[in-house]
Amino acid sequence: MKTINKPSLRAYLKPRGASVAREYLEVSVAIAAVTAAGRFVALDYPAFGHIYLLAVIALSLRVSRWPVLFAAVISAVAWDYFFVSPKMSFAVLRFDDSLLLGVYFVVALVAGQLTTYIREHEKLSAEAELHRTLLDSVSHELKTPLSVLRSAAEKLGTDDPDKRASLAVEISLATGRLDHLVGNLLDQTRLESGALKPQLDWCDVRDLVNAARRSVEGSLAGRPFRTTVPADMPLFKADPAMMEHAIANLLLNAALHTPAGTPLFVISGVEPHRARVFIAVADRGPGLPAELRGVLFQKFRRGDAAHAGGLGLGLSIVRGFVVAQGGEVVAEKPPEGGARFTIYLPYGRHGGVPNE
Amino acid sequence: MTAGAAKLEVLVIDDEVQIRRLLRFTLEEADYAMREAETGQAGLSEVAHRRPDAIVLDLGLPDLPGLEVLRRLREWSPVPVLILSVFDQERSKIAALDAGADDYLTKPFGSGELLARLRVMLRRLRSAEETKSMQFGSIEVDLTRRLVTRDRQPVKLTAREYELLRLLIINRGRVLTHHQILSELWGPKAKGQTHYLRIYMMRLRQKLEQDPDMPRYFQTESGVGYRLVE
Repeated sequence: MKTINKPSLRAYLKPRGASVAREYLEVSVAIAAVTAAGRFVALDYPAFGHIYLLAVIALSLRVSRWPVLFAAVISAVAWDYFFVSPKMSFAVLRFDDSLLLGVYFVVALVAGQLTTYIREHEKLSAEAELHRTLLDSVSHELKTPLSVLRSAAEKLGTDDPDKRASLAVEISLATGRLDHLVGNLLDQTRLESGALKPQLDWCDVRDLVNAARRSVEGSLAGRPFRTTVPADMPLFKADPAMMEHAIANLLLNAALHTPAGTPLFVISGVEPHRARVFIAVADRGPGLPAELRGVLFQKFRRGDAAHAGGLGLGLSIVRGFVVAQGGEVVAEKPPEGGARFTIYLPYGRHGGVPNE
Repeated sequence: MTAGAAKLEVLVIDDEVQIRRLLRFTLEEADYAMREAETGQAGLSEVAHRRPDAIVLDLGLPDLPGLEVLRRLREWSPVPVLILSVFDQERSKIAALDAGADDYLTKPFGSGELLARLRVMLRRLRSAEETKSMQFGSIEVDLTRRLVTRDRQPVKLTAREYELLRLLIINRGRVLTHHQILSELWGPKAKGQTHYLRIYMMRLRQKLEQDPDMPRYFQTESGVGYRLVE
């Protein structure tokens, strides 16, 4: 299991997905709360200055540079208005109060800058680590079949026809692996660039499964394979190429993670309330490791048992393709054992077919 | 190939020298004569001068888009064209087939597959409009008598089902795009009504395939069309 996002300061420092507007709101609420609390506590006004300072520094751990500065400004105004006598008015500050205020701003500014710097650094190093891991696995995955090709090519000069035949098999396996890898890298890139628009067309699930199966035939050799399609299975709208790749990736994934010779099943149908069709790929392998739940569909994640390597892109592409078509994909441990990945797609009725 | 007959000539238009070398190796071993052109322009003038029996055309040429070469070629020549391309998107396959290509292979391709496609294209050239009957598996189709049998028992097909079967037979081995089949069977207004096709194909497979869920003869080219293989 490759772990890329180690638990980091970043997660603590910044809640994920916080927008700038939310940060400003958070800051305002916090300062308002401190101010309100201060109305009920009898303390000297310089003490309140320090409490505000504490609040601003605490905020600087959570929000970015500009909201911190904003917090410093509104807390200074609130302090002056509510706590410096004459209260409930903007007082002209005495020299030592002004000094306190000045120090206060400098501290808030430095704290804001520093925490922002730490966060950016954390993010960069996480990205650098991701790149390193990606580069490591890409070079491993590309160079292994390339070295097979190179050494097989050199040995093709042999006169032994049996050896030549087995070299040809190795070459063809290596090219298959390279082809699959390049295909997945391209798919992932297309998904991320947003250049991928599904071309929805009426699909027959049998066509999709057959095409997917043919494309990974070599990897499924020696496995019992059964497809279940109900007789009244309707047509549904999907992008046939995307679905073919998605199902092929699920089949390949199952083949990589289960012992050779164990069976694979593809089960399709319509959900009981008939709003969605489903296509499930099930195996009788060891099932899904608990620690992989939740990260299964993230890119560059691979199970330990993946003896044939790979980049960990397969399931991420499956999800990307399925989501692009308005569906979802779910991984389960069914009661009969093994693992089951189910693709759900919305479906509506097609128009009539002209009579003859 | 019968002894003594002149070799069939294949023109390869591709700018990658290594691809041309490997194609030469493959084609000459299979007893074809091969000529080559590096650019679209050179390819077009080669076709005009040499009249090759078939063309293998790469879509990514340095001077002209391959599709443009195909369009210009189709203005005056019916020579069979096999497209080679790195583009595996269905859209580009459909565009090439609808522009008059006879078949499409994506790189990387196997030499066995290339030769098989080429054979189909060239056979069609020789037997154009002469297909009177076809046999696949336990199915026999007699186009002159409009008779279809399975294990020598007549199979009842509706008029449309038979038309679809006939279209696939006269183009056997070749992929027909949805658009081509739909406009042939239902007219140009049926464009985009692919569910007609799915349903008719399902019916044909049920009547003529051993295992309709895993068809051997009536094959689907995902997102592109259908092909009848022997």
